[in-house]
Amino acid sequence: MDDQVITVEHLHKQYGEQVAVEDVTLDVRRGEIFGIAGPNGAGKTTSVECIQGLRKPDRGQIRVLGMDPVHDGTKLRQRIGSQLQQSALPDRLRVWEALDLFASFVPGESDWPGLIEQWGLAGKERTAFANLSGGQQQRLFIALALINDPEIVFLDELTQGLDPAARRVTWGLIRAARDHGKTIVLVTHFMDEAEILCDRLAIIDRGQVIDLDSPQALINRHGGPQKVTFSTEENDLAWLESLNVVHSVSRLGSQVSVTGTGPLVPLVSHALVGNGIVPGDLRVHQPSLEDTFLRLTGREQMNGMAD
Amino acid sequence: MHTITRLSTVELKLITREPFTLLFVFAFPIIVLLVMAGVFGTEAAEEWQGTTPANYYAASYIATVIVALSLVGVPVHLASYRERGILRRLTASSVSAHAVLLSQLVVGFLLALAGSVALILSASLIYDVEAPVSIGGVAVSFTLGALSLVTLGLLLGAVMPTARSAQAVGLGLFFPMWMLSGTGPPREVMTGTMQAISDVLPMTRLVNALQASWFGEGADFGELAILFVLLIVAGALAVARVRAST
Repeated sequence: MDDQVITVEHLHKQYGEQVAVEDVTLDVRRGEIFGIAGPNGAGKTTSVECIQGLRKPDRGQIRVLGMDPVHDGTKLRQRIGSQLQQSALPDRLRVWEALDLFASFVPGESDWPGLIEQWGLAGKERTAFANLSGGQQQRLFIALALINDPEIVFLDELTQGLDPAARRVTWGLIRAARDHGKTIVLVTHFMDEAEILCDRLAIIDRGQVIDLDSPQALINRHGGPQKVTFSTEENDLAWLESLNVVHSVSRLGSQVSVTGTGPLVPLVSHALVGNGIVPGDLRVHQPSLEDTFLRLTGREQMNGMAD
Repeated sequence: MHTITRLSTVELKLITREPFTLLFVFAFPIIVLLVMAGVFGTEAAEEWQGTTPANYYAASYIATVIVALSLVGVPVHLASYRERGILRRLTASSVSAHAVLLSQLVVGFLLALAGSVALILSASLIYDVEAPVSIGGVAVSFTLGALSLVTLGLLLGAVMPTARSAQAVGLGLFFPMWMLSGTGPPREVMTGTMQAISDVLPMTRLVNALQASWFGEGADFGELAILFVLLIVAGALAVARVRAST
């Protein structure tokens, strides 16, 4: 298909005996934010490093912008940008010098003063890398990733170590880059980030893609039941269980919790009102991508055990 | 070429911002040279290969500048670039392993040159250091010696897993070499075992080459050939290692 900028088929990569990527198949479409999400050590970074031609896969097919990353690596890297996990710049290098240096590596003119403006680094041009805050360093890395006006930008664990406000600012800037026509490949182990930001995502665990779709579709498919909670003094709630969307009703003191699927919220609300119960504390708990992920990977049972 | 020039320029600029990181490399040889030449006086003697201690040490301490830089400065720098992901950052932007290493080599060479000039100027101001017998020979020995030993330092930095280990191993190699290569006691007064060890140290080759051109028979092509082979082998290994590890 024409609008696919990346296709990966049966990628496999191991380091010695250690299998990093077992079998990864995915495709990325032009102009979307595509997420590669999974726990630490799932094979996310190795996969994107193979896609960028920074590592050589042991098996499988990869095409990026119609090129083979292993053979056309140099040509490919002129059309992609990347922000790498665990990378750094020399401590004393200043912001403008970093942009000027990296601009010199790519052919043609680069509008790095524009990037300084766009990525909120104005006024920091003469600040040394080591004296930037975590958020500023990350924004500088994104600016460096965009310096060759790439068609695809790879962002690996972008918001690691950022405070919540800085994360939100970064998310807004990534959306802005997508809206300017860039394709973004976002590697993350933060499911909230993937849910908020990604148009589509692949969930990877133990080196394999478990499923690939939009966040909402993944939640609908694997997220499990919704939950409605409220409190009431009414003891007989058997009529709630007779609603066909309800799976279970449980209570703890006056706290009632109803689980189910489909149009659970309107039907439960309607039945409550019809029976004269109008709770002021009715809450709806939709499964999040994180819940979905925990169910998908069977890590739910491990809660409280690991780490 | 353009990339190497840009990287080297930036590196030199960064060094001017943290000049104290090179204090050891610049100050140590000058201080020790001044002490050695002062202690041993100005009389020419057989154990100083027939020349004065000032001449003897002025020539050989150019090698100390080069080796201090190559084993104490260069490996830590490259290892920390790899450890911190600066090399990965550069590679992902199409900068080749060749370009990174060549720019470090250019910078190392220029620093060795600056350090050697400072050393010879200091020694000449205080002691009576004679002009070299063969200025061309000194220039070629310096050039080949600086290139091959800085490259050896780059190989060390490429092999060591962390900056701290590179520092430990670099210092651990530097001091024995400095003691046994004719820059501590002259080779003529060493025991047989010490001389045998001295023979296989690359720094000895550089000291011999420099001394031959300064106050000996002129350029020593045998020693220069050994330094050239070291340059080629260490360079090839360092490039292969940086390629594989970034």
